[in-house]
Amino acid sequence: MTGLPAAIGAPAVSGPVPMPRGRRRTELLMLAFALLVVILADAFAGLGLNGKVPPTLLEYGLGFAAIMIVAHLAVRRFAPWADPLMLPVAALLNGLGIVMIYRLQESGRGGNPGNVISTLTTSATLIQLMWTAVGVVGFVLVLAIIREPRILQRYTYTFGAIGLVLLAIPALLPASLSSVQGAKVWIRVGGFSIQPGEFAKLALAVFFAGYLVAKRDVLALAGRRLLGIDLPRGRDLGPVLIAWGASLLILVFETDIGTSAVFFGLFLAMLYVATQRTSWLLIGFLLFLGGAYIASTIFGHVAARFTDWLHPFAGNNAANSAYQLVQGLEGMGFGGIFGTGLGHGQPYFTPLVQSDFIITAFGEELGLTGLMALLLLFGLLVQRGLRAAIAVKDPFAKLLAGGLAFVLALQVFVIVGGVTRLIPLTGITTPFLSQGGSSLVASWGLVAMLMRISDTARRPAPQPIQDEGMTQVVRAG
Amino acid sequence: MNRALLRLSLACLAMFVLLLININYVQAFEATSLAGKPGNSRTFYQQFQYQRGSIVANGDGTNLKIAESRLVKGGNGTYQRVYPDGPVYAPVTGYDSIFSATGMEAAEDKVLSGTAPQLQVHNLISLITGKQKQGATVALTISPRAQQAAYQALAQDGGHSGAVVAIDPSTGAILAMASYPTFNPNNYVTLNGTQLQKVDSRYRADPAQPLLNRAIEATYPPGSTFKIVTSSAAFATHTVAGPNTPVPAPTNLPIGNGHVLINDANEVCANGNPPFIQAFWLSCNTAFGKLGIKLTGAVLHQYANAFGVNNPNLKIPLPVAASVVPLETDPAFTAFTAIGQFDDQVTPLQEAMFSAAIADGGTLMTPHLVQSVQAPDLSTIESATPTPLSHPDSPTVASKVAQMMVQVTQNPAGTAFGTANASIVGVVIAGKTGTAQNGINNTNLDDAVFTCFAPATNPRIAVGVIVKGGGFGSAAAAPIAVKVIQAYLKVK
Repeated sequence: MTGLPAAIGAPAVSGPVPMPRGRRRTELLMLAFALLVVILADAFAGLGLNGKVPPTLLEYGLGFAAIMIVAHLAVRRFAPWADPLMLPVAALLNGLGIVMIYRLQESGRGGNPGNVISTLTTSATLIQLMWTAVGVVGFVLVLAIIREPRILQRYTYTFGAIGLVLLAIPALLPASLSSVQGAKVWIRVGGFSIQPGEFAKLALAVFFAGYLVAKRDVLALAGRRLLGIDLPRGRDLGPVLIAWGASLLILVFETDIGTSAVFFGLFLAMLYVATQRTSWLLIGFLLFLGGAYIASTIFGHVAARFTDWLHPFAGNNAANSAYQLVQGLEGMGFGGIFGTGLGHGQPYFTPLVQSDFIITAFGEELGLTGLMALLLLFGLLVQRGLRAAIAVKDPFAKLLAGGLAFVLALQVFVIVGGVTRLIPLTGITTPFLSQGGSSLVASWGLVAMLMRISDTARRPAPQPIQDEGMTQVVRAG
Repeated sequence: MNRALLRLSLACLAMFVLLLININYVQAFEATSLAGKPGNSRTFYQQFQYQRGSIVANGDGTNLKIAESRLVKGGNGTYQRVYPDGPVYAPVTGYDSIFSATGMEAAEDKVLSGTAPQLQVHNLISLITGKQKQGATVALTISPRAQQAAYQALAQDGGHSGAVVAIDPSTGAILAMASYPTFNPNNYVTLNGTQLQKVDSRYRADPAQPLLNRAIEATYPPGSTFKIVTSSAAFATHTVAGPNTPVPAPTNLPIGNGHVLINDANEVCANGNPPFIQAFWLSCNTAFGKLGIKLTGAVLHQYANAFGVNNPNLKIPLPVAASVVPLETDPAFTAFTAIGQFDDQVTPLQEAMFSAAIADGGTLMTPHLVQSVQAPDLSTIESATPTPLSHPDSPTVASKVAQMMVQVTQNPAGTAFGTANASIVGVVIAGKTGTAQNGINNTNLDDAVFTCFAPATNPRIAVGVIVKGGGFGSAAAAPIAVKVIQAYLKVK
């Protein structure tokens, strides 16, 4: 930790004690750099498409910069000690996502090369920019309202209920109001659709953290010892089984193996951090594999995902269920090491490239180098989150930060691993990059909570002010 | 909980490392195999994003473009293939469609598309200087004059199918390669897959077989033109001393198994013991059948091979169907072989090669179509060097056979006098007619065959013509050869 204040009882110092630095200037500098990268990328996308700088560059660029400056000012105001890297990284990822959506939206339109992506309207970029604004408003609200992470702990079961309701709504709604492309994870009203699961993720993380902090001593109690592993007591298996059952229900009713894996993974990771028992991990992991196997034998769509993963090139035509996966892989291969350059590739061959497969569009146009940079940005964000978790003292905040950082990593792993054929493909969004409001707003909410926790962790402890009369006045933090 | 958090960090690290390894595998190692996957849209569309090299016919020194890529109007910089004189050059160019290619388009695809190793340095320079990638130009030995004449003559021959090949005997350069009926390669350039399927299946279903390049992909009985080979063998083995040596030519030649060989229309051959040269210009079957039996099947086979027959590996660079003259041991079959009947089957290209070898003093030059390949910067990266394929005859034997071939067109009794004598053609042609019986019990119309070279002294062009069901070689095939020679030599 930087600028650790002098411990209480340290020798008296004369003059004002130097205050630890919040590093907000560093944040601003890096944010400016991120904005520069985004604006240049947008210009290059236009130049790559038709040799002209996009006519919307100025308004979109200024708009995006303004939104991010607001976020920065809010951090200065509400979380001055927060980690200085998180906001610039989130802004850079968000901005690059908008640039790619702009590039995809312009494909084949206005005399640009390529095919028109019919699932992407001409206002997609503007809408994504507006969702960015909504996301940052959410970010500011989280920072403004939740001044201390432990406030959330009071509402553990409220968040649990909210999370479950959000998760269950799409399953209960008729398919016409909840199903898009076979995944029943939406709430669609009018032309408006949100994925409640994205927000449920945050609510359940709070619930898990609160619940596990309260119960961890019980859960950590060892029962029998088998093969060198301390097994938990049978009666303590309850919560694990409930979480497992819930994730299987998501799988069954929402036909969404990705969301199910992310939730169960989040729960397991937090359970492990709370109890430090490897046995929980093993039991949970085996339960998930068993559940997935049974699901694959019962449900055709789960089995089909496995077949597509193992034999994607079995029949390469539009009717092939692995068509999207194959197009994405071929796009990445076409991009090679250095990529075609923004606007020069053909990402429009991949159906729905703007959502789950957006990472393959980056792979094609920015190449292996660009894609590695993007993954490292995600990795950096995760690492900063885990760092906050380790640094913060409050067990609840510690658990919450660990869970949120892990769920971000897991989501990136599941979707990027899925589209690059590392694991079977499951349709979930790529945080910050994919088109769509819910994912973006939820991602900003996640970053806001991580920043709130890192602010708590880095905030200097109440500092003794010593005067000659030996009276100690504690300055409120 | 910090220990568990550290382990969780390691798990996150492991996930990112796995992702990084995997994208390295996909984008660096698997990229090439992904590009080669059937149906890869990106690889597929790449071929229209740059200018494929032209194919030009340079046999007359005019560099006539017979296939070129042009920018599609309003097509966002995509190129489309155009064949300015499509059907005429179709057997040479073939087509280049979005799914497949044939002819020179297929044989020279690597240089035309610019992927050949010789072009890599050039491509690299283009990449650095920001120039667009471009394919190399392939210049062919085809003479537009000869090719046009060959195609027109075939097309105007009453709807018979057939083929013409013309060769420069001194180099082996192919001057004309026409086949009829043929197709229009421009129908194959559509970028619409459904449309292409329709065009292709229509051509394939056509009983006239327009896609068949008869010049090199189909074989026909050579008939009496094979007597050139029999004569070469006879002179070379000293079985017949010279053109004026008398040879027995009975009206009926019993050849065993109850078979009797007769002359055309059961004619008498002169006095029954004519000079060899007369038997040649009259094309007496009995004289050559008897000679064949005397020479033996093995010798005929050996000389046929020297003339290029029985070679399944010939490429010009289009693959050429093997002409077949089997090794006969039975005297009856040997007699048939000697007059180019029964199992003998040759391509029209092989017909031209018979005459080309005689014209070139007994040396058969390797037939070839590619004159040179030019990189987009006009530097020549490949040019043809004439090389002998074989030496079927000594110059002495070749000149004796040539002397006999001249009489076929110049002697008033010669089989091709009426259609190919010097006063008709304007130049002296040396040739040999063939009228090949075919079908079960010879029920089908005869195939007309003619092979020749001109001018008889100092030859510049050798021509082989086969007209399926055309009837007499002198009547149906020789006039076509005459037109090609006249066009190429610019006589009359």
